[in-house]
Amino acid sequence: MAPRLRALGLLAAIVALGVTALAGAADPPRMRVVATLPDLWSLTRAVAGDLVTVDVATRFGQNPHDLEIRPSQTLLIRRADVLVRNGLEEDAWIDPVVEGAGNPRLLRGSPSVIEASRGIRVLRVATGPVDRSMGDVHPMGNPHYTLDPANIPLVTANIVEGLTRVAPELGARLEEQRQNFLDTLAPAERRWRETLAPYRGARIVSYHDSWPYFYQAYGFVDGGVIEDRPGVPASPQHVAALVRRMREQGVKVVLLENWYLPDTANLVARQAGARVLALPQSPGAVKGTQDYIAHMDHLVRALAEALR
Amino acid sequence: MRHAVHLVGVVVVLLTLAMPRAVRAEDVETLRRQLDTMQRELEAATKRYERQIQELGERLRQLESRPAPPSVAAPPAPAAPATATPPTAATVATPAGTSPAAGADTPSLAQILTPRQPFALAQPGRTLLFDIGVSGDFVADFTSAERERHRDGTFAGRENRLFPREVSVGFFGRVDPYASAVVRITAGEETPPPGERSRGDFEVAVEEANVTLLALPLGTTARLGRMRPRFGTLNPVHQDDLPQVDRPQVLTRFFGEEQLDAEDGIDAFWILPLPVYEEISIGVFNGDNETAFGRGTLRDPLVLGRLRTFFEGEDWGGLQIDLSAGTGATDDARRNTVAGVGVKYKWAPLTGFPLMTLAGEAIYGHRAADRWGYYVYAQYDWTRRWAAGLRWDWTEVPRLNGYEWAISPYVQFKPSEFLRFRVQYKHTEGTRDLARAIDELFLQGSFILGAHPTERF
Repeated sequence: MAPRLRALGLLAAIVALGVTALAGAADPPRMRVVATLPDLWSLTRAVAGDLVTVDVATRFGQNPHDLEIRPSQTLLIRRADVLVRNGLEEDAWIDPVVEGAGNPRLLRGSPSVIEASRGIRVLRVATGPVDRSMGDVHPMGNPHYTLDPANIPLVTANIVEGLTRVAPELGARLEEQRQNFLDTLAPAERRWRETLAPYRGARIVSYHDSWPYFYQAYGFVDGGVIEDRPGVPASPQHVAALVRRMREQGVKVVLLENWYLPDTANLVARQAGARVLALPQSPGAVKGTQDYIAHMDHLVRALAEALR
Repeated sequence: MRHAVHLVGVVVVLLTLAMPRAVRAEDVETLRRQLDTMQRELEAATKRYERQIQELGERLRQLESRPAPPSVAAPPAPAAPATATPPTAATVATPAGTSPAAGADTPSLAQILTPRQPFALAQPGRTLLFDIGVSGDFVADFTSAERERHRDGTFAGRENRLFPREVSVGFFGRVDPYASAVVRITAGEETPPPGERSRGDFEVAVEEANVTLLALPLGTTARLGRMRPRFGTLNPVHQDDLPQVDRPQVLTRFFGEEQLDAEDGIDAFWILPLPVYEEISIGVFNGDNETAFGRGTLRDPLVLGRLRTFFEGEDWGGLQIDLSAGTGATDDARRNTVAGVGVKYKWAPLTGFPLMTLAGEAIYGHRAADRWGYYVYAQYDWTRRWAAGLRWDWTEVPRLNGYEWAISPYVQFKPSEFLRFRVQYKHTEGTRDLARAIDELFLQGSFILGAHPTERF
């Protein structure tokens, strides 16, 4: 009996291996897409679903402005077929990663590289001479455009167009999934607009200049930025002037991107009689907000509560 | 549509005139059917193109009608409808050279050996030039009058001086779709000959001038020209980017004050197809470094290799381990073999700070006799601006007897990413040939103008 059992076991193992091998052979490897930032990762996943594998080159909740590049990012790029990047230099650190990854398909200008900002009406484009006296400025304009839901149709169109360029056979399904996503986004956008409608015209101060697109979408007024200039911590003079202005204008809320330390924001809010609201600027930093709509839901709900 | 009908008519007339009478008689029915088919196809194509033009026009109108950025006091205009029509799979042409997803097909040997198809798409509206960056690194070395007389401090011959260690102008960018290049020209106060005091002379040199080939087969990346070779942990790091004011003692004793720099040759590296990061590099150089090699000929070249691995965890940070080896000839035609192991660990929360760095490197050398040494350091960056650290050095010296050790606490202040100040105290003691005790205080100021490379792990 024992030899028979062994033989049966062996047979079962061979069959299992064969089935596994056949199953493996039947599933061609999926296209691997790397998005540089969590918002692009979230939107790429929304339109691509399970058609491709999507990875993100940064950690959720990580500050992308002063990122240190790591070999783990090089490994991701080495294996990827498509790169989705911000297009306004928020992720300029990806260039040396790509150049060191031995994957020339993902170098700037390649058809496999998707610049998600194409066609966006860019805010805060620097004019006149640009130098470091302006801090670590983005000369091409403010790169946080996904915080305005009105930009999402264009951003997702760019992503679908880029993926289709590389894998034309996926084009129709990608477009269908994009339309489904936009159909889900439209009522959510109306909901956000209605929730924030009572607070239109409110002045808001932020730690970093991350929110102009969000302000534009919901009618808020930029009340100032705590950083003296992008990437440069506030000087005492700058803080004093900002606090004075906040008191005069009745600013109630200081938005703190939650990757910054809260000390200065707390000081400014305390002196100006406002409250600090720590918010993630990109999806995934808070549990359950990896999806773009869930992320925006979180932002809108938290801000509405703070302004109440 | 009218154009299409006219076109078909012209084609029919031309065909009719050109056709021999006999053929016309026999195949007139077949010809009519073919012409009907052509006409239908032409009409379908015309309709398709008209629809696409309409879709593109619609998209353009939507783009043009998007709300303008509001003035500070003005409420925003309503958002554009969430239904912009993107190009579909049918309307997007595949650019030349674009292949379907890699990995979907197993490439043949011929495909692997063929240099990869580059691309030639410039970004519209961008100037295709290169980046320029200027950096300055100034150091002051304070020590006792006795040590100044002996000229045996860390910066020998420049004791109790403030000197420009390195002012560099760097040009970097893409050469063409296949390659990128770096040129760095540096100037700094000349290192005086042993036992002499600096006269403040400047030395200008091309420290780097190399081209990196990016589109080679088999995932190969290769550099050709003058470069800082990939060896150990700190060798590829420029003087102004070091974690402390001075290079660790073991590195300067084995390779000189600037370690292995300005080597002319070629190196190549690969990232191995493994689940974890494994990078292997190999380089062949003239071997011009006077301290360690100095033969300076490709008939007996300096050959360097490095294996670098990296592990990263969400919670526990990143760990890099590198193993390096090299062999070359000295100026008196003796063989010098060196090997090294380096470890670097970093931990930071998502906010980036506080940041903890622990690192160390050990070097072994076989020249006239076996010698070795090491350094370890810990650095704690408690904010973006402030950091403090401590380094411990212990090393033997090639061609000398005895050993020396040093301890160096330091504090760093960075007003911004482009400006840095450091204060470092260093106490050094040695035995036998190296017997002495030195106390030094270093001040350092570094700045960057313009473009700068991204921070690396």
